[in-house]
Amino acid sequence: MSAPQSPHEEPPTDPSGPAASAAADPSAVAEGGAAPLAIEVRGLTRRYGELVALDGVSFEVRRGEIFGVLGPNGAGKTTLLDTLEGLAPPQAGSAHVLGLDVARAPQRVKQRIGVQLQASSYPAYLTLTEILELFGSFYERRADPAALLARVGLEGRARSRVGQLSGGLAQRFSIVAALVNEPELVFLDEPTAGLDPDARRALWELVREVRAAGTTVVLTTHYMEEAELLCDRVAILEGGRVVAMDTPLALVRRLDAPYRVRLLTREPLPRARLEGLPGVVGVEQERTEEGALARLHAASAEAAAAASALAAEAGAGLLDLLVEPATLEELFLALTGRHLGADRHEAGAPSASAPPAGAGDADGPPGGGGG
Amino acid sequence: MRILLGAQVKVLVRDRQSLFWALIFPLMLLGIFRLFSFDSFAEEDLVVSDRSGVAAGARLEAAVAALDFLEVEARSGLDDGAAHELLDDGDADAVLLIGPPAAGGGPLPAELLHAIDDPGRLAALRAALGSVVDDVNIGLTGAPRAVELTTRASGASETTYFDFLAPGIVGLALLTFSTIGLASSLARYREEGVLRRVRATPLPPWRFFSSLVGSYVLLAVVQIALLLLAATALGAEVLEGVLALALFALVGNLVFLNLGVVVAGLVHGRYAVEGAANAITFPMMFLSGSFFPTSALPELVQRLVELLPLTHMLRAMRAVSLDGASVWSQAPELAVLLAWVALSALLARAVFRLQDA
Repeated sequence: MSAPQSPHEEPPTDPSGPAASAAADPSAVAEGGAAPLAIEVRGLTRRYGELVALDGVSFEVRRGEIFGVLGPNGAGKTTLLDTLEGLAPPQAGSAHVLGLDVARAPQRVKQRIGVQLQASSYPAYLTLTEILELFGSFYERRADPAALLARVGLEGRARSRVGQLSGGLAQRFSIVAALVNEPELVFLDEPTAGLDPDARRALWELVREVRAAGTTVVLTTHYMEEAELLCDRVAILEGGRVVAMDTPLALVRRLDAPYRVRLLTREPLPRARLEGLPGVVGVEQERTEEGALARLHAASAEAAAAASALAAEAGAGLLDLLVEPATLEELFLALTGRHLGADRHEAGAPSASAPPAGAGDADGPPGGGGG
Repeated sequence: MRILLGAQVKVLVRDRQSLFWALIFPLMLLGIFRLFSFDSFAEEDLVVSDRSGVAAGARLEAAVAALDFLEVEARSGLDDGAAHELLDDGDADAVLLIGPPAAGGGPLPAELLHAIDDPGRLAALRAALGSVVDDVNIGLTGAPRAVELTTRASGASETTYFDFLAPGIVGLALLTFSTIGLASSLARYREEGVLRRVRATPLPPWRFFSSLVGSYVLLAVVQIALLLLAATALGAEVLEGVLALALFALVGNLVFLNLGVVVAGLVHGRYAVEGAANAITFPMMFLSGSFFPTSALPELVQRLVELLPLTHMLRAMRAVSLDGASVWSQAPELAVLLAWVALSALLARAVFRLQDA
């Protein structure tokens, strides 16, 4: 369990280059139509001189997903997005977006995707409405600027300029500006970077709304929190390679101890008894104002039931019991031996509100869908 | 394309700094230079005083007083002390003291006392007075004239310094606005990620680029029109051959726009780009004769200045506006300008890549 493996991360077996793999690719047949996959990437490689930015990356994104690409700075996230957006042709391997080969038909891909970049990216001297009209004019399909602004609650700022918006509102605008062509797939590059927790949560809600309206979302982040709460599936990128890919919960389950059991009792329980419970790998105990708190690292959810039984048997007075999955941060640490970012707590940790049953729900994201 | 061009024009017009350089700065220059009257440089204040008591002296005083390009005042009987006082107080630039006759006979002495530092001006004054003295000498001998010199202006009207200056101001306004402005627009769009964002749309990058350049060309037309109108309102005579003038201005402006792209391609970072663009435009602005004729430069520098596009653009503009020359007579200047357009376009294409943005 400590060495996570996924079939997705296998290097491509097809050595004959993008053209041959495109011909063998079933999604290429449905070019321009309703391809079953939003994105299909095989053996994507990109070098900048000595630096290998992408090293045989393969994965698929299904339509309607929120797909997260996770990794520290320099892991290859932006290079990957550049390739998928038709900004940089692949050097080796293939990338299909909405059934179209990005290398062959970048313009047709660009017609149907939306792109949000990290920088503000819009002329400082135009109003929000003018920017939306301008960028809309680049596409065959275009949404009404007023309706777009209303969608993100910016209808009152139609005549403002981007520089006059707060960081959170500017990010909301840059996301809605990526929707001017009513895209089937939208790429968001670190949409919440540098935002305060409130603005970040508001933006997560916006991303969910975008997906609910039928748009597939691919986002990059270096916030584990964000990936756990927002993404249906995540790919973890490190050094230009996909080191793991799955739902956040399934990824976390690959850890030796994928569950955290938080047990609050009136009287402390003996450490030896806790350590002896089935599936318990580690124990931390402390005294709090509310009572005696024990944190168990557990290999299975059974540990929670056993802990509850132990508290009753010892007459310790059970006050609270919470089961939650371990975090992607811990997974990232286990996979790479490095911390992803030091600021995950900025994102507003939702653990206190996570329902205990959430840990057993294999298909939903940890922490519940409501978050 | 209409929306795109409209947006580019809006961005330009709303950028107060670019508007300052495009219009306010050249208008200020026009207004300030209007205040100087360079054409009155030659008008020395001269006092002439006949102290000789002989006919020749009176005749010389009358002839000098009749010189119409000098401010001449005749004051009979001035002594040397009073003459020095006039010069010391700045009431006169020079005093011509005639007589008294020398004790031992001989020619009547006439002495020019002056407070003129500029050797050129002094030489001009000496030459003018010398010819008057010669005239008086000849007149007294009663000998017939062998040669007579007359002067006639070639044009229908005499041109003033301000007429000369107005096309220069138009040229420098185009140079600074197009080169500095376009270079910094491109640098800003690159830095703000606008170029990258546009590349992520289906719009071909060259269309975004050409709309940006197009907005500068449109504003250049407005610049030319407004500056010529302002110059005319201030008294310059530049409306003769105005269409030909505008033609040369717009062709030259293409060179300046290309130079802006070259700078943005070679230098990175917005402030570095603005600095580099200034470093190119300011020396060219002065050396190519925006304010003063290049013929006043040392010969070696003149030859170097012949290589600059603004020199040829201004020469052609002045030829059609000051001398009433035809467009065709300026074909050599136009050829140099077109060569510059081609060369600078190739250079711009080589060093600026939209793909790298």
